[in-house]
Amino acid sequence: MGRAHPGSAQEIADLRPTLLRLARLQLRNQAWAEDAVSETLVAAMEGLAAFDGRSQIRTWVVGILKHKIIDQFRRRSREVALEAQHEISEGDGLEQLFDDSGHRASAPLDWGDPETAFARGEFFAILQACIDQLPAPLGRIFLLREWLEFDTAQICKEMKLTSTNCFVMLYRARVRLRECLDRNWFAGQGGRQNG
Amino acid sequence: MARLIINCRQAHWLLSRQRDVPLRWTERLALRIHLRVCDWCRIVERNFAFLSRAARRLDS
Repeated sequence: MGRAHPGSAQEIADLRPTLLRLARLQLRNQAWAEDAVSETLVAAMEGLAAFDGRSQIRTWVVGILKHKIIDQFRRRSREVALEAQHEISEGDGLEQLFDDSGHRASAPLDWGDPETAFARGEFFAILQACIDQLPAPLGRIFLLREWLEFDTAQICKEMKLTSTNCFVMLYRARVRLRECLDRNWFAGQGGRQNG
Repeated sequence: MARLIINCRQAHWLLSRQRDVPLRWTERLALRIHLRVCDWCRIVERNFAFLSRAARRLDS
């Protein structure tokens, strides 16, 4: 097993729930997520001998998962593209947010310092719940852009969307997430009302 | 002709899009003018940056 620590295989196996949570959030499909996680665990176990120990095992395995998730998107591209097309044909659901002249109807909350929020355990649970509440195509595109850090041109191409439709989906996702966090996190956590 | 006076809805749209692609100079100018007078959209600009940072940390 080379330089890898003997406990490393167990450490990888223990990551399974974390990997599954991330894969489900990004892929929005239980079966695809389980495929991606199984492939990740196999690849990690097989690669353990070559793991150089310079990064943490967790970081290394999550890196593998990201590649396996992208593989899943490539394999399921037809279905993912169809769902994205359908989402575009829906309304944006943001009618109440702006008045007739296009001005915001209510004040957004100032969220303050990100690190302060990140330090509280519940923050990421609430963020994930908010992402999960988005329609699947919006959740997928948001995380492709902001978690996997793809550039928009690549995302649009993979999802067979025009660039405008791509930007529209990212806009809907961000605005809805912002509203969701206002309601579910910052309203009760010392977010300051402004305006 | 691009309009330089935009409302919050249009500003939100540009605040999102500028995170994905560089805006045209007229859009940048219109957004800058709007943000000078609109406290709420300045908050939303920071919220969007916050969201990007948070998403990158989902796996940590």
